[in-house]
Amino acid sequence: MSFILTISLSIAAYSIAVLGTFMLTGMNGLFSLGQAAFMGLGAYVSAIMVVNYNLPFALAVLIAILVAMGLAVLVGFATLRIRQDFFALATFGFGQAVTGLMTEMVNVTGGAMGFSNIPRLTTPTLAFTSLAVAIFFVWGFRKSHFGKDSLAIRSNELAAKVEGIDVFKHKLTVFVLSAAFAAYAGVLMAFHTRYVEPAMYGWIASVTWIIIVFFGGRDSLTGTVLGSIILLAAPEALRFTTAWRTLIYCVLILVIINLRPRGLFGTWELSLRPILNLFKPKKHQEVQ
Amino acid sequence: MDKAVIVDMNHLTKMFGGLCAVNDFSGHVKENQIIGIIGPNGAGKTTILNMVSGICPPTSGEIIFKGKNLCGMEPHKVNQMGIARTFQNIRLFEDMTVLDTVMTAYSWRAPYNPIETLFSSPRVARFDREIKEKSMHWINRVGLTEQAHAVAKSLPYGMQRRVEIARALASEPLVLLLDEPGAGLNQTEVQGLVDLIQDLFSDLHLSIMLIDHRMEVIMQLCEWIYVQDFGKKIGQGTPEQVQKDPLVIKAYLGEDISNA
Repeated sequence: MSFILTISLSIAAYSIAVLGTFMLTGMNGLFSLGQAAFMGLGAYVSAIMVVNYNLPFALAVLIAILVAMGLAVLVGFATLRIRQDFFALATFGFGQAVTGLMTEMVNVTGGAMGFSNIPRLTTPTLAFTSLAVAIFFVWGFRKSHFGKDSLAIRSNELAAKVEGIDVFKHKLTVFVLSAAFAAYAGVLMAFHTRYVEPAMYGWIASVTWIIIVFFGGRDSLTGTVLGSIILLAAPEALRFTTAWRTLIYCVLILVIINLRPRGLFGTWELSLRPILNLFKPKKHQEVQ
Repeated sequence: MDKAVIVDMNHLTKMFGGLCAVNDFSGHVKENQIIGIIGPNGAGKTTILNMVSGICPPTSGEIIFKGKNLCGMEPHKVNQMGIARTFQNIRLFEDMTVLDTVMTAYSWRAPYNPIETLFSSPRVARFDREIKEKSMHWINRVGLTEQAHAVAKSLPYGMQRRVEIARALASEPLVLLLDEPGAGLNQTEVQGLVDLIQDLFSDLHLSIMLIDHRMEVIMQLCEWIYVQDFGKKIGQGTPEQVQKDPLVIKAYLGEDISNA
């Protein structure tokens, strides 16, 4: 597999996790520092199922996602009623606990040495289709009343409550969905790099995704996807700068956040409407 | 011409630590009736509305609505049972148009589960169309047709208040709680608002609980008035009775009014 393709596959997989963070942090303002733990969970569960138990890939994927969602329900129940800054702390603790377990349970996970010999089952078709489907999912979710509810809760939780929105249930739904996205991204990565280790799933990954969302624009799905591609590709594209790489990466982010506080794309969305309108007969259309 | 009681508040008390915000308040709203609660600042008026809407559960007492005690019920449940409210300090949503704001009041009625939204099922689009139409109806009703696609927070204060009323109406409530709807409005705006409330009241067969400390708002609208002072009820009656009540005059205008 060519270098470019390998990198593109990773970007596609990670972008799916970033989409989960977009729903949680971008749309709902919930900062989870344990998002990457769900990715790790998806990676480990699916890898162990396939390698140790010879389960079919599709079934392993399903189990991995369901395990992550189940855990998200439990974590969500415990943390989503508390204030949002405490939610960040609690999920941080959860994430570190999960990576801690992965390191300690040596006979199941291989410990800090990592878990290897995973077959390469993530094909380019699978990865890119998955990303497209994930974008479609988030688009649909955001277009439904959940999108408006998210914004309502984010900007005035009390007002949202008194108009009948079950805020806790809403947050739990979003948290569980975002965990499913992260877990699926983990599966794709595990069967792409063929090796997983606990260190990949610490809080730094979770924070990176949050940065990507704010970089691209927390109120723009287009921005999140493009921001995700730009920032995930940047470390590779900046390789020629050798030792300066990290510095340039950080400066890039700081410049964007300062010049465009609402993210690179603000609230702008890519839309097919202007293109579709070209084909419509030019008569005076009724404004909806 | 006797109307049935729709919200019955019995011996409501709210303590904030050692401070007694509301002390043993009893009262009721009847079907298709506007009642008012008046009193100076700190009299506990808003606290009573907060207790009824589930925002702060009473320390003791009970609120009976549709045969159920609302005490301890979460705000969204109270709303779903048929009680909607507005806020004194307007609470609108950032960056949202008037239409979107009003539409969120219908969210909890969505007939589909979250998974269906991922697949953009036709039911999602159909529901969206339905509630858009219903929400437009309420927006027209409060006179904001022109502003439907404007960002709610960018509108003048008086219009923002109407957005809140439209949002509350979109809950299709039996009981509407209005917390100082006249606050921050000028004289003309207040009169417009009084007319709007009067219209809504007679068209929609609502029961309304109204707080205001502008006498003219309360006196024009209310059929029955409760007077609060320092958390205690000091009087009640029709507007005429209340206006003559010496205790009320004392609370409002201070002592020795008769000598003035």
